[in-house]
Amino acid sequence: MNKKALFWLLIYLALAFMVLFNLVPFFWMATSSLKTDYEVIDYPATIIPREITFGAYTRMWTQENFIQYFKNSVIVSISTAAISSLVGALAAYGFSRFAFRGKSLIMTLFLASQMIPGVLLVGPYFKMLAYVELYDTLLGLILSQTTITLPFSIWMLKGYIDTVPIEIDQAAMVDGASRTRIFSTVVLPNIMPGLVATIIFAFLLSWGDLLWALCLISDTSKQTMTLGITQLVGQFRVQWSEIMAATVIATIVPATLYLMLQNFLVKGFTEGAVKQ
Amino acid sequence: MSIKEHTQGYLFILPALLFLVVILGFPAVAAVLQSFNLMWVPDPSFSTKSYVRLLGDVEFRTSVLNTVIFVTSTVGMHLLIGLGVALLLNMEIKNKHFFRVVAILPWTVPDVIGGLIWRFMFDTLPGIVNAVLLKVGLVADPIDWLGNPALAFPCVIFAEVWRGYPYVMLILLAGLQAIPKELYEAAEIDGSSKFTSFFFITLPNLKFMIIIATILDIIWECRLFGMVYSMTGGGPGYSSQVLSLLTYKHYFIFFNSPYAGAIAVVLALIMLFISIPYLRMTMRQEL
Repeated sequence: MNKKALFWLLIYLALAFMVLFNLVPFFWMATSSLKTDYEVIDYPATIIPREITFGAYTRMWTQENFIQYFKNSVIVSISTAAISSLVGALAAYGFSRFAFRGKSLIMTLFLASQMIPGVLLVGPYFKMLAYVELYDTLLGLILSQTTITLPFSIWMLKGYIDTVPIEIDQAAMVDGASRTRIFSTVVLPNIMPGLVATIIFAFLLSWGDLLWALCLISDTSKQTMTLGITQLVGQFRVQWSEIMAATVIATIVPATLYLMLQNFLVKGFTEGAVKQ
Repeated sequence: MSIKEHTQGYLFILPALLFLVVILGFPAVAAVLQSFNLMWVPDPSFSTKSYVRLLGDVEFRTSVLNTVIFVTSTVGMHLLIGLGVALLLNMEIKNKHFFRVVAILPWTVPDVIGGLIWRFMFDTLPGIVNAVLLKVGLVADPIDWLGNPALAFPCVIFAEVWRGYPYVMLILLAGLQAIPKELYEAAEIDGSSKFTSFFFITLPNLKFMIIIATILDIIWECRLFGMVYSMTGGGPGYSSQVLSLLTYKHYFIFFNSPYAGAIAVVLALIMLFISIPYLRMTMRQEL
């Protein structure tokens, strides 16, 4: 075998190993969710299920709470993503196009706020929400998750807006367009891929959150997917086929979103979050 | 009639600024005040007793050490694997699209869900890890991965290596794609091998992206909560306890806010300290 063929063989072997390493947990999650209640706790575990059943899924879906968890997660994640991208886009435009006193200080504060760990905020947040009677509400959870997503959104979006030539703004201004009009009809359409990437990124962060939901929600009917699923495990008997069915559902949403929009996300994410 | 330019600038950032002050600034300041016994306590007076107590708390010391071990090992592995996979994906390979999709998949799994999947994989009896090891003949008896204080924490690290490396890989891949191909062609004409090209072209050009990826990843791993919570809950004992989870425990299980605040302040200071180079680099670019 010549040297070049050997080189490519090694490359594809490495890629095959990467595929195996990445996919085994997905494979295990999916097959376990399809096993019967007996087989899923068999020892030693069967790698290929002997018998396939959708029983775990039907049970999860017919448990009223689970549908509620799913709905709550969708509501919270979409709202968080919408608020942080809207507020973030306005701020990003302000930072990108205007000069004003204190700008660099405020920008540094936004940047540094990404470094504040959630656990530092969540305790005081609990007291604040209780004070304004938003404890145990989805609105309170949405506001609190915006703390994680807003700083990221501003920085990502500012990166995109910076790439839009300022001459376009100026041309529109000569035509008599107001700043808000330029923002909504000139700048936003030009950063669509970046805006989509930011929205998805915020959505994914919010969808995957456990800390805030755990600390700020106690009513079962207001729990999110991640919280609901972890509570299932807390009980004394762990029903793994059902939990794996639930994790499949909790994973499918972000994974599908990602696959649908992966070109946007990879391009947008790397261009906006890190500029060279 | 129009509003002055700089006033308009303020108006655009005003909503975000309100959010920053009300939902970030206020709770952050409150947490610090709380940790010094100045706020939301029956008898407010300045006291450093929470911080003094930290010094003698064995679980706190274990958590600091664990957090440091966790962050250095996951970030180190993320960089190694992330760079390796990014290099592979940057080559002229077939089915590039497929490989890229697979490479990114673990990162789309929420960390708490990833923790649950790996918890079941490491399960002593029905877990796949023991099943494979038994089948291959590497072990004779099943290993109690998550019930053993010496093994539980490495298992959590392993799971987070799996979940987190695509993030680093993405940043490094973007960096690789930005390196002009001409550099490699010129080096090849000069007779340099792929190996020397890597050390003299790839790495120096990627330096900036590697620093960015490292700092951002450190920040993510410092605040990781869901995976540890769902996989081991910090146990057995407190062998896999980390600072974020310990803070939660003191706030919401022991209801000891000043003490929890002090732990969180320590974590925040560590993170802020690590991110100073990143803050400076980014701001220098902006101004």
